[in-house]
Parts: sequence; C-alpha cells; structure tokens
Amino acid sequence: MLKYILKRILYLIPILIGVSAIIFALKTVTPGDPARQILGNDATEEQVQEKRDELGLNDPVLVQYVNYVGGIVTRGDFGDSYRTGEPILTEILPRLLTSAKITLGAVMIGAIIGVLLGIISALKKYTWIDSVVLVISMFFQSVPEFVVALVLIMILAVKLHLLPATGITTWQGYIMPMLCIGLSAVAGYTRITRSSMLEVLGEDYIRTARAKGQSEKNITYHHALRNAMIPVAQSLGSNIGNAIGGGMVLETVFGVPGVGKYIVDAITQRNYPGVLGGALIIAIILTLINMIVDISFVLIDPRLKTTIISGGAKKMPKKMKAA
Amino acid sequence: MSENILSVKNLVIHYETDEEVVEAVNNISFDLKKGEILGLVGETGAGKTTTALGIMGLLPTRVGHVIQGSIELDGENLLEKSPREMRKVRGKKISMIFQDPMTALNPVKTVGDQIAEVVLLHERCSRAEAMIRAQKMLAMVGIVPERYKDYPHQFSGGMKQRIVIAIALACEPELLIADEPTTALDVTIQAQILDMMRKLQKEHNTSMILITHDLGVVAEMCDHCAVMYAGELVEYGTVEDIFDNPQHPYTVALYKSIPSLDKDVDRLHVVPGMVTDPSNLPSGCSFSDRCDKKGDMCNKHEAPGIVDLGNGHLVKCLKYKPEVEEK
Ligand SMILES: Nc1ncnc2c1ncn2[C@@H]1O[C@H](COP(=O)(O)OP(=O)(O)OP(=O)(O)O)[C@@H](O)[C@H]1O
Ligand code: SF4
Ligand SMILES: [Mg+2]
Repeated sequence: MLKYILKRILYLIPILIGVSAIIFALKTVTPGDPARQILGNDATEEQVQEKRDELGLNDPVLVQYVNYVGGIVTRGDFGDSYRTGEPILTEILPRLLTSAKITLGAVMIGAIIGVLLGIISALKKYTWIDSVVLVISMFFQSVPEFVVALVLIMILAVKLHLLPATGITTWQGYIMPMLCIGLSAVAGYTRITRSSMLEVLGEDYIRTARAKGQSEKNITYHHALRNAMIPVAQSLGSNIGNAIGGGMVLETVFGVPGVGKYIVDAITQRNYPGVLGGALIIAIILTLINMIVDISFVLIDPRLKTTIISGGAKKMPKKMKAA
Repeated sequence: MSENILSVKNLVIHYETDEEVVEAVNNISFDLKKGEILGLVGETGAGKTTTALGIMGLLPTRVGHVIQGSIELDGENLLEKSPREMRKVRGKKISMIFQDPMTALNPVKTVGDQIAEVVLLHERCSRAEAMIRAQKMLAMVGIVPERYKDYPHQFSGGMKQRIVIAIALACEPELLIADEPTTALDVTIQAQILDMMRKLQKEHNTSMILITHDLGVVAEMCDHCAVMYAGELVEYGTVEDIFDNPQHPYTVALYKSIPSLDKDVDRLHVVPGMVTDPSNLPSGCSFSDRCDKKGDMCNKHEAPGIVDLGNGHLVKCLKYKPEVEEK
C-alpha cells in the first residue's frame, strides 16, 4: 500500500514538469514586458532594464525555468506577484480555502442528488419517473454553467432577494456557486449510477440473494448498491477536476475571491507568476485528489486490495485452480 | 402420495418478449419423493433452468410467466403463495445452486457473511449464532472456518461452488435444486464436488433435483431421471429404466452421443441436427425434425401423449401408440 502511494506521488513529477513547461513556454512568446507593466509608463528605460535584471528576465529561458522550479522544490517559493510583490503562495492559500469549500460543497451536492436520482430511475426503469429524471439531468448537463448561474442570479438574487448576487461576505454567498457547479454534475452521476445499478441488479449474485429469500429492499441496499457505487467512485476524480474547471469561470461570475478568479485576473494582468503558480498548485491538488480517490476504492471493492498491496495490477487467473 | 415432497403438474412456462413468445416449458408433470435425487437432463435450451426457476418463483419478472399448472411442495401449491410467503420458502424449504460459481457470490461481501445472511433470514438467532453456524457450514463443505472473513475473489472456482453449496444447505432445506453445479468446473474438481454433494444429501436426507447435461453424473447420483426436450418431458423413469432400457428416440440418441473418453463440458449439440427452437415448435412431435424413427403420423398427429410402459416408466412418443406401431 505504501509502495503504491509513493509510486503515485512520483507520478506527480512528470505531470508538474509538463504543466510548468507549457505555461513557461507561453510566457516567453506572449508580447508585452512585465517589467514595464510593473513600473508603469512613467519609468525610464534604465529603470525598466534594472527591473528586468532583478526579475531574471534577461536570463535565457531555460535558466529562468530551472531557477523557478528550483525555488519551488527547495523553498516552496512560487515567485512573487508582478502586481503586488507579495509571494504567490501567500496570495493563493486563503483563496484556495474558499475554492475548496465551494468545490467540495458542489461535488457533494452533485453526487448526492445524482446518485439518488440514478437509484430511483434504475429501480423505476422504463416508467415515466425514469424519463422525467433523464430529462431533468440532461437539461442541467447541456445548459452551460454560467447560464444556469445567470438565471439563478436573476431569480434568487435580483427578483426574490433571497441570496446575495455576488461575493461571499456571508455564508449565503456560497449557495449559488455550489448549486451551479453541483447541478451541472448531477447528470453524470445519475447516468453512471443508473447504468451500473441496472447492470448489478442483473448479476448472478443478486439472483443468489433472491434464492436465499432476501427481500427486494435489502437486495437493493445491501447487495446491489455497494457494487454499483464502484464506477461512481471511479468517476469522482474526474468530476472533481470538472468542478474545479467550472469553478474558474463561475468564481468570476459570482465575484468569489477564489483561486479560479485569481488565475483569471492574473491572466488579464499578465501576472505570469500568478498564472503559473495557480495552475501548478491546482495540478498538484488534482493529482493528489485522484490518488486519494483511487486509494479509497479499496474500501469499497475488496478485490483491489490484493492487486494494490501486491503492487502489480495482476488479474486473478481466469482458469480456476484446484479446489 | 404423501411421501412426495414435490409434485409438478401440467406446468407451462412462457417467456414473452416484445418480438416473440418462447414456449420454454410445455406441460410437464413429475413427482419427487422425499430423500430422492431426480436427474433432469436435456440439451441446452430444453427448459431445465426455466423449470427450476419456476419452482423457485424466480422467473425473470415481466418476461417469464407460468401459464398453467401447479407446483406442490409438501402439498402446498407454491404458485398460489404471495411474494412474501415465497421469500419464506426460498432458502429455507427450497434452495438452489446455480450454474456458474464464479459469479454467484457477491464480490464485496465476505463469504462468511453471505452464508450467515441466509441463516439470519430464516432462523431465529443472533448475529453471533449465525456466524457460528456459517463457520460450521464452511467446515462442512471442506473450507477452514478461519476463512470466514475472506472475499469470494480469494477462492478458486471449486471452493466458490463449495461456498454456494454451504449457502444452499445452511438452513437444511427439504429440497435442493442444483442447476449444473459442476459444469463450469475442471473435471477433477467436478468429481470432488459431486461426491461431497451426495454425502451431504445422504446425511441430511435432502431431496434433490440435479440438472445436468451429463448422463454419467445421472447414473452415479440419481434415483430417477427425467429427459427434457424442447420444453417437454419426453421420458421419465428410474435410472435403471432410462439406462438399461431407454425408449424415446431422443434418449437413445443422447446415449449414442456420449463421448467415450473425455466428457465434453462444452455445449455441443451432441445429437445430430439443430436443437428445436422453442419459439417456433413444429406441429406434432417436437423432436420430429431430428428423429430417426420418425413415422408418417409424427408431424400430422397432435403432440404425442404420455404412455406408461409399466412401473412408472413414462415415454412421450407416437411409436408407443398403437396407430403408429401398426404401420
Ligand atoms: N429471459 C428469457 N427471455 C426469453 N427467453 C428465454 C429467457 N430465458 C430462457 N429463455 C429461452 O427459454 C428456453 C429454455 O431455456 P433454459 O434456460 O430453461 O434452458 P436450459 O435447459 O436450462 O439450457 P442450458 O442447458 O443451456 O442451461 C431457451 O430457448 C431460452 O432461449
Ligand atoms: S413421436 Fe415420432 S418423431 Fe417424435 S420421437 Fe416418437 S417417433 Fe420420433
Ligand atoms: Mg440452464
């Protein structure tokens, strides 16, 4: 198990090198001089040159890159913001907390509603209930999140004055962003839950449970549900990724000071250390989340325990051994 | 008659899908005496599993229907029972072992819990008592009780089938239906499992229906044998009747098809010709397409009736009606 976790952490390295290299490359080809930007139009050419030296912008790109990565690895230093001069990490950490709250809430809303709807439509398959669930979840999947966001703002904030339109100065401010991101994920969970539930209910071991005289209710909740949750759990990692992506846009719409808004602002302000740091931190977090999700499968599916602990993904031999 | 544990009369089962109606079981009747083993043989698609599911009340919902007939267990017609009452019968009075042990167990539950589950359902006992009972059952089928907390994937196919048998026998059922319990297993393990089943059956005086393709297994295990073809019982008798004196042309053909050395577990259509399609039965005798004794009457006549050749050796073939034999 420990070996598996270490291996997963090692996977982080190539991922992060890739992400940072791409963003770094972008920085070198985009027009505009960060030094000039920091100092403003009044600064003399001399001052700008001095600033460029200070920021290391006159070094070859590769040297800049190695210095940057070295700073992260040795000092946890993601550079300073061009805009405020503050360390990126200091600026991002509190925003990370805000984004994490929203993402977590959204994933929970999406997963709970989605799984419930999925179970219902599997148990009521081919009835009108099944169709209604399908239509509703399809609706939220096909309408872009920001449209849902604007509609929610129109209704809940502008017309009914139930919730603040933007900002998170009060806890009510969290509700709409969470809802928007969560609802857009409902369809995915519903579809996976429904199809895996239907598949599981047709398995031989469900028939075995019936042959024992078990009731349909217990069969659904004790035998089918846990098996049906395996693919749902597997989709959790990528769903969190989507929620973070959705959050980027929605944080701007709702004026939430999270990492998403920070990165978007950094892009418009050509604050490259901000963009780079934000993207890297999100990449690290996503990889860690996926790792945690993978490990948590073991809790649901005992078959994985043997494969993960033994290190390799060896399948049980198809051919049976002697009894 | 009271010694009959099970009495099936005129049972007809259809599968009704959108496209077609499959006449899977056509008017079969048979009795099973207490403590006896009845072998049910026939090619793939003959309706053996359907018959078993019908008795269990586990036909696929919406698709499978009992059209007519009665299934009496201890004199009570199971077809008249409510779903709730049937749940009390299943696992307690009748148990069933399914064909494929690889998929019959829930992969996310420990094998011990899966045995204890059926005990908890039917016996008044605490969780701890059910656990002890499950461990005893494991020992009974030859698995060390310490493996209670292991999961199905940690066992081989033969061991899984032992666990399935432990589940089936945990509440000491009066009737055990074993649907090809060894078809999916290696030949060497087949013998072990069958030996064990016979031993347990004798010890507990369980009545049993053993569904199989394998006439060798029937000869070894059973008291009576019923031969099914296209949903019909074409011949029924004691194992001696069927083996020493087979009468129906299909039974005779089945014998000829037994491979001498290796028992082929694949579903080969061993009797020449195609298995009759139960959604499209010929008029008259359903075996007529493949029968080498076929006479003029076989297609024209309505389906052959059952003829008793004496001592309850039944056969369903026009050869045994005076009209055909005179020709
Ligand atoms: N759920 C179903 N829907 C429609 N037709 C079915 C269904 N289950 C079985 N049948 C059909 O009913 C007939 C009898 O099937 P059954 O499973 O009882 O055969 P069997 O004798 O058990 O065969 P095997 O030896 O292959 O297990 C077959 O023609 C089969 O195609
Ligand atoms: S009734 Fe005719 S076709 Fe059918 S088995 Fe007998 S001889 Fe063959
Ligand atoms: Mg079958």
